[in-house]
Amino acid sequence: MYIPTIGLEIHCELKTNTKNFSSASNTYSDIPNSNLATVDLGFPGILPVINENGVKQSLKMALAMHCEIPEYMTFERKNYFYPDLPKGYQITQFHHPVGINGYVMIHVNGEDKKILIHDTHLEEDTASLDHYGDYSLIDYNRAGVPLLETVTEPCMHSAEEAIAFLEALRSIFLYCGTSEARTDRGQMRCDVNVSLSTTENCLGTKVEIKNVNSFNNVKDAIVSEIKRQTEILENGGVVLQETRRYDENQMCTHLMRSKEDAIDYKFFTDPNLPPILLEKKWLEEIKAEIPSLQYERITMYMLEYGLSRYDATILVKEKEMAEYFEETIKEGADAKAASNWLTSVILGHMNKYEIPITKLFLTPKMLVELIELVSSDKISSKQAKEVLYQSLEEEKSPVTLVKELGIEQIGGNEEILAVVKEVFAENREAKAQYQAGRTNIVDFLVGQVMKKTRGKANPATTRKLVQEEIVKGE
Amino acid sequence: MPTKEQLKEYAGKLMFDMKEEEYDTLQKEFDVILKQMEFIEKIEGIEKVKPMTFPIEIGHAHFRKDEQKNTLATNDALKNAAMVEQNQVRVPKVVEE
Amino acid sequence: MNYMCKNIDELRAMLDRKAVTSDLLFQEAIERAKQYQEAYNAFVTIIEEKKEQDATSILSGIPYALKDNISTKGILTTSSSNILKNYMPIYNATVYQKLESAGAVLMGKTVLDELAMGGTGTTGHTGIVKNPWDSSRQIGGSSAGSAAAVALGIVPFAIGSDTGDSIRKPAAFGGIVGYKPTYGRISRYGLFAFASSLDHVGCFARNVKDVAYVINIIKGEDPYDMTSLPDDNKNYVDTLENEIKERKLFYIKEAFENYETSEDLEFKETINQFFKTVEKVKELGFIVEEVSFPKELLSAIYPTYMAISCAEATSNNANLTGIPFGVRGEGNSIHDVMMDARTKGFSELIKRRFVLGSYILQKENQEKLFHNARRVRRMIVDKMNELFEHYDGMLMPASGGIAPIFGEKTDQLSDRYLILENHLAIANFGGFPSITIPSGFVNDMPIAVNLTGRQFEDDVVLNMAYKIEEITDCKDQIAKGGK
Repeated sequence: MYIPTIGLEIHCELKTNTKNFSSASNTYSDIPNSNLATVDLGFPGILPVINENGVKQSLKMALAMHCEIPEYMTFERKNYFYPDLPKGYQITQFHHPVGINGYVMIHVNGEDKKILIHDTHLEEDTASLDHYGDYSLIDYNRAGVPLLETVTEPCMHSAEEAIAFLEALRSIFLYCGTSEARTDRGQMRCDVNVSLSTTENCLGTKVEIKNVNSFNNVKDAIVSEIKRQTEILENGGVVLQETRRYDENQMCTHLMRSKEDAIDYKFFTDPNLPPILLEKKWLEEIKAEIPSLQYERITMYMLEYGLSRYDATILVKEKEMAEYFEETIKEGADAKAASNWLTSVILGHMNKYEIPITKLFLTPKMLVELIELVSSDKISSKQAKEVLYQSLEEEKSPVTLVKELGIEQIGGNEEILAVVKEVFAENREAKAQYQAGRTNIVDFLVGQVMKKTRGKANPATTRKLVQEEIVKGE
Repeated sequence: MPTKEQLKEYAGKLMFDMKEEEYDTLQKEFDVILKQMEFIEKIEGIEKVKPMTFPIEIGHAHFRKDEQKNTLATNDALKNAAMVEQNQVRVPKVVEE
Repeated sequence: MNYMCKNIDELRAMLDRKAVTSDLLFQEAIERAKQYQEAYNAFVTIIEEKKEQDATSILSGIPYALKDNISTKGILTTSSSNILKNYMPIYNATVYQKLESAGAVLMGKTVLDELAMGGTGTTGHTGIVKNPWDSSRQIGGSSAGSAAAVALGIVPFAIGSDTGDSIRKPAAFGGIVGYKPTYGRISRYGLFAFASSLDHVGCFARNVKDVAYVINIIKGEDPYDMTSLPDDNKNYVDTLENEIKERKLFYIKEAFENYETSEDLEFKETINQFFKTVEKVKELGFIVEEVSFPKELLSAIYPTYMAISCAEATSNNANLTGIPFGVRGEGNSIHDVMMDARTKGFSELIKRRFVLGSYILQKENQEKLFHNARRVRRMIVDKMNELFEHYDGMLMPASGGIAPIFGEKTDQLSDRYLILENHLAIANFGGFPSITIPSGFVNDMPIAVNLTGRQFEDDVVLNMAYKIEEITDCKDQIAKGGK
């Protein structure tokens, strides 16, 4: 049996108005070569100028991943020739990246695990190539888009862990608002390193799988690569250090280049970009903007609100849902009740109509009011469910609906007791009959109360009060 | 000291070739410069010095504000490209490495 | 009338009192450019039609030339390389933009050593540039055409770039003033990069005051260049007349060892004259002292310069593939197309330097070659800064001799070559302001002194140079070929 070890390198495009080193727009465009500045085409004489926001977004990510931040950050050139790289080098970070030695917490198979981050660094994306018969077309729109590359230590041991980490990382981007992190637009891409070994302490030969473009493919690529390497080792072979590509149609990896062909990128500090002093005060400000993240929220919901991990996980899937939930609690709702309504009826409604929680008619305050109607016995849980459905569909507040439908129960003991007394007064023989053993007279009396209140009295309360009254002596 | 074959390989990686006799000249040049670099290695205390990248090191890096401006017109941007098709630069098919 | 041999003050006065028009100046400039083009080959492009200007500044209406590695929108800019022989920039360099805004009139783009890599003026794709004092000799490079154009009296000033000595050496061989200010004083945006950490924009003129006028216009912080310096808000012309008494200069003893016994008479005479100049400089009130500079550092200037500049250059010029711009190569694969463009597009010297540069950057060589070179760079700069604690400037011969004859061989391992022909690069290592001032003649060819000062003190260097210029008798001189 072999122990697989996995490391990931994730490229994610950052959300900014402009590119990393030019003032051209950083937006996804279907019109080729429409978002360009001279810098993006690598014209002679151009100079890169760093986008403040790109640095800020990457620092936010580095801090959210608990990285150490250097005093001075530098940018290096990664030199290689490829038609998607107009300058002939990519500006990236090599010596002093935006963050090193961080970690991200994940939860897999009932256990918490710390995924170690080797470093995270700010760089620029390449142009995109479209291939036709015997030619290719270059669109430079993507060239220069800010990209954050996050490199983990080889510390994961299954495809599940790798996917859990990717999900966690994506959620950090989304929670921090630093990227849309959409794999379908190529905004998040992944290189996967896989090695097999027989003991835990020593790593086998590393095989790198380049440019895997969806989480499912990452999973399949890891599984198929583990299988391939296992077969080699079981047949007495040796795994070669190489770079491979994942073929999603054939669901297996193919050789791209062997170790001997590894490219020497000749990294050196870009003389056009002076070292950037990362001031403590700025870092503090950025840190203050980082919201509480998924993992922390799950822990808090479980410990403080007594929610199950399952429910907590659903609530934090999107930051907006978690914020909605927390708002209801701030408004005084019972956490479990709020969680129940959110994870069932409300989430169902959102999924059915594909509306985000931020567009929901029902505000946290309205949900709190609904929960209070139930807890004060004014309506039953069953009624509440109906009211909630209707509220979401018809965009009316639950309180208004309850009033309109006239279903508000008489919940107060005093009020019901008065009616109960009235019924007893009208049925003076009831107590005697009860004492004579005709216990089902209670049902009749309850029925009378309900009749008098036209069904608005809470049945349970009514029964309780009738019971108390009937055993009292004359 | 790199061999002539190695020099050819290096040139190839830089995407050009040279004439045979030019590689000879280059080798001679390497000989001179590498000799000079050996002297440098012997300078006393050199190992303790921090390599210098920027001539002026007390820099103040002024960032660019994240505001869009100076977008090029597509036809301007592609004006210098030898082959343009559908507003893109056409090249022989790039086979993914 | 020969207006183009006049200085900026004279031209300004004539324009202001309408004794001459800008159109006339422009016509004369291009006529002279054409007249000397065959003999000296200063220009890649001579601009036929004058662009109308409405700005007013000291330079408005005055023609000038730009080195052809400075980006000019809609005007061919080749960097004297075949790979860019058809390149039409779509944006303006900051230096050009500033001159345009000041109303100066661009009349041509000048020849350089291909991609500014070289010091001979012989490697441009349109042919060699000859020395206006003697056409059998080099003018030096890489800003060869700009130096020749000013020396010939085609324009009163021209813009160049300087990575090792590319303004200050050709200025010396052309008998004119050449200045490169503090690194970052003038934006590099739009200057085709050779070695970004050493590259400077600067200018040529026939006297120090003209240089100051031009630098006043083109300096300043640029949001497009992160290495540009904050404005110093100084007017360099206003301080030219400042008192220089008690200003202290030094020269390096080790540069002149054994010159008296040398059999090279030109060399001997050049150094003798330098010392005569030093005496006259002292008479002006300067204190000039001899200092010792570690010889191993001086001998390391050239390899250090080569290692750093070639390394940066391979990377800076990796954009030249003929794909989004430049001459497209032929071939059936993308690899062949790039190979062909670069194989045909670069001359031999460039290729050799690129191979050297990439070798220096190879992972296994970086420590020994690249990092060591950058360590020496710091040691030299530190030593200079130490000397600048006691001295206001370094005064040296700009070269150990006169402009070389074409084809002349130099021994690249000799002390004279390593020190006297390469010390100008010190100013590039440390970004020090540095000026070459013509100081006399040897064998009827001009020689010059170079003055290098403290970082940021461009005003002081120009002030001292202005005073030294008084005793040289070479102010406003026009080369023999231009008379």
